[in-house]
Amino acid sequence: MKATIKFLAAGVLVGAALGLVYFAPAPAVAQETDHAKQIGKRLICMCNCNQILTACNHVGCTVSTVMLKKLDQVVARNESDDLSIQAFIQEYGQKVLAEPPSRGFNRIAWFIPGIAFAAGLIAVLFVIQHWRKPSPRVADGPAVRSDILERGRRQADRETEE
Amino acid sequence: MDLFGSFALLLAFVCALYAIGAGIVAIRTRNPLLIKSARQSGLAVCGLVMAASASLAYLFFTDNFSSAYVAAHSNRDLPPFYKIAAFWSGQEGSLLFWSLLLSVYVFSVLFAYRAKHPELMPYVGVVLAGVQLFFLTLNNFVANPFQILGAASPGGAMQYTRLADGAGLNPLLQYPEMVIHPPNLYSGYTGFTIPFAFALAALLARYPGEKWIHLTRKWTMIAWAFQSAGILLGAHWAYAVLGWGGYWAWDPVENASLMPWLTGTAFLHSVMMQEKRGMMKVWNVWLVFSTFLLCILGTFLTRSGVVSSVHAFAQSSIGPWFVGFIIVVLTVCTWAFLMNRDYLRSNNHLDSMVSRESSFLFNNLILLVACVAVLSGTLFPVLSEWIEGTKISVGPPFFNRVNIPIGLFLLFLTGVGPLLAWRKTSLESLKRNFGGPLVCALAAGLLAFPLGLRDFYPLVCLILCVFVTVTILLEFFRGARVIRARTGSDILSAAGQLTLRNTRRYGGYVVHFGMVLIFIGLMGAAFNRDKQMEMALGSALDIGPYRLILQSFDTRPEKNYTAERAILEVMEDNRQIMMLFPERRFFQANQESGTMVAIHSTLKQDLYVVYAGRTQDKQTPVIHAYLNPLVKWIWLGGAIVVLGTILALLPSRQAVLALRPAARVVPAAVTPQTVMTGVSNYEGHD
Repeated sequence: MKATIKFLAAGVLVGAALGLVYFAPAPAVAQETDHAKQIGKRLICMCNCNQILTACNHVGCTVSTVMLKKLDQVVARNESDDLSIQAFIQEYGQKVLAEPPSRGFNRIAWFIPGIAFAAGLIAVLFVIQHWRKPSPRVADGPAVRSDILERGRRQADRETEE
Repeated sequence: MDLFGSFALLLAFVCALYAIGAGIVAIRTRNPLLIKSARQSGLAVCGLVMAASASLAYLFFTDNFSSAYVAAHSNRDLPPFYKIAAFWSGQEGSLLFWSLLLSVYVFSVLFAYRAKHPELMPYVGVVLAGVQLFFLTLNNFVANPFQILGAASPGGAMQYTRLADGAGLNPLLQYPEMVIHPPNLYSGYTGFTIPFAFALAALLARYPGEKWIHLTRKWTMIAWAFQSAGILLGAHWAYAVLGWGGYWAWDPVENASLMPWLTGTAFLHSVMMQEKRGMMKVWNVWLVFSTFLLCILGTFLTRSGVVSSVHAFAQSSIGPWFVGFIIVVLTVCTWAFLMNRDYLRSNNHLDSMVSRESSFLFNNLILLVACVAVLSGTLFPVLSEWIEGTKISVGPPFFNRVNIPIGLFLLFLTGVGPLLAWRKTSLESLKRNFGGPLVCALAAGLLAFPLGLRDFYPLVCLILCVFVTVTILLEFFRGARVIRARTGSDILSAAGQLTLRNTRRYGGYVVHFGMVLIFIGLMGAAFNRDKQMEMALGSALDIGPYRLILQSFDTRPEKNYTAERAILEVMEDNRQIMMLFPERRFFQANQESGTMVAIHSTLKQDLYVVYAGRTQDKQTPVIHAYLNPLVKWIWLGGAIVVLGTILALLPSRQAVLALRPAARVVPAAVTPQTVMTGVSNYEGHD
């Protein structure tokens, strides 16, 4: 039976290898490196569609056309990314940024998931610790002998896993 | 017909009100006639809401433009197929549709359990009628779909107006999926009312045991399957219609549908702890409450205009009603919990940290953290504006950065959880179960690296996908091997028998496999490419292995719109593989435009072409082409998730066999079938 499992695992591995060769996307280096696109991904289209500036091409959106033109002009000035983005903030306000800025009150947006995870993790670990404490024995009930319990566990293991 | 619809809605409201009143009195007096009367009143709501819905549909199909709702969302040239979509395209119709689906669920529950669970069902009936009453209040008094166009004359008499034609349907909604996506999503939202009603009713009635959990499980799975299908159909609609090359933009409407799905998924897992071990009773009750509240919160967010969305088609000042309802529901739930919390006392005990129970706890933690991350990101712009006075955006980069690691951890648990035994997993069992999958996963990672998969997240995603797939395959293989040894059948039919003997467990594995495929598809997004170009006739645009040549472009008038389209020849390796016709449609009725993306989809990648219009100066067509790898795997995975859920809902064959008469004479020679029933102890994980 072990041989069959090995055969199965080998089959999966060969399948995965063939799949990878066929489906592997082109390496990232082959992508176009368009500076404007990189900056555009950090901005939101101000037409209220809540989409990334470079992704907003929904029909009739006049706002993204103007913003993309401005983006080209800003990039042509060859300034740093931060300066280019600053030019958009000056015109449209903080709302133009695709992510909340990590300063001041807005930093909280970044903290919430982490805090939720940490709090949840502490709670789960506490619960596990609490639940693992042996429950008080019933005074008048017969105690189960550990060897019988162990035998029962082994039997359950055999029956459920093999 | 509008009067008929209005009247039916009003009567439905009265029936729901009566169902609550009579139900409460019946619970107090235990009067069987009153219990029956309350139930029948609840059943009648369904018929009445159906009648109202049928009359609205009739108004649409007969182009009755004296109806304000029909005039605002339809026109004569709108194809009948899209008149179905027009039904729920606005606030009033979508709320009526909500009531319709809810009333069908309520009818099914009240009818199916009419002679069962007499202690519990009156409570369930009251809770369900309460939820129905809220939506029927909106239908009747806040957003009535049967309003007539007209104005009062100086003499006080009402003068009705009938428009010659309507304003037409939003072009974004004129896509086939809009006829099936909202029904699926709404069936998910409304479906979560059933487990909510059972949970609250069990708490109020202090219903003994885990019975309500067994009763609700299938309803939760049905709602979950609809919600999953609705989310994916919505993603596909966004992909094919919005024309931005993606399927998920973390838009508030998308987030609103994802949040109850996440808590619903957590419930479907943690409920097993209660079924198997009687644990987590308080947690499960609050998960059900939260799921229902998130459904209502999502509806509030998308309809109130609190957050802006490209998907929101029905914004109005209805928000305060939903806020009020959320407050009422939360108050009732908290009160019921505080009054009856001793009923939820359970004997929680864990034998080991390495056990199925622990994995469920972590699974719930991760799903809840994902929900909190999505909720906080969706609401943060409102909070920031409220506190700081300036509005900020929380766009896809934030959600991706936060949720990708969470999703990958969840994928890891998808592989680990089913391999852990209840109570305690021995070290030997760990080695045996995890060795093979781990080796395969790491080997796949090592193979992928030289092939160019070097970004951290896609690489980890691939490794985890292989890990989970191998664990699932091994689970099927191990079970099938036992059956094969006893029955002599081949491994595939043994796997089939195995699945049918424990549909819940193996259906669950099928769902997990579907999720793996979805993750593979999502991984492809890391390698998306796009190119935009002004194309003169005969010019070519190269993207990936494809070359697009503009053969022609034309304008053709259709009944409901005028289409401007590009005719593109697609070449791969210097041979023509197909023609694509991306177009842009202009709808005369409402003077709006829409895109019709052309997609050449393969398992490897999608060639996604958008006709972005013509340049103003030279009138040259502008083509925006995207190469999106592995997208098809998402839709494939989604279909498998839904199929897996259906499979898990089917009764196990084992149970059917157990019901056979015991008096059957066992022949001397043991038949394969009798041997099969003897293997029943194999199931240990579920």
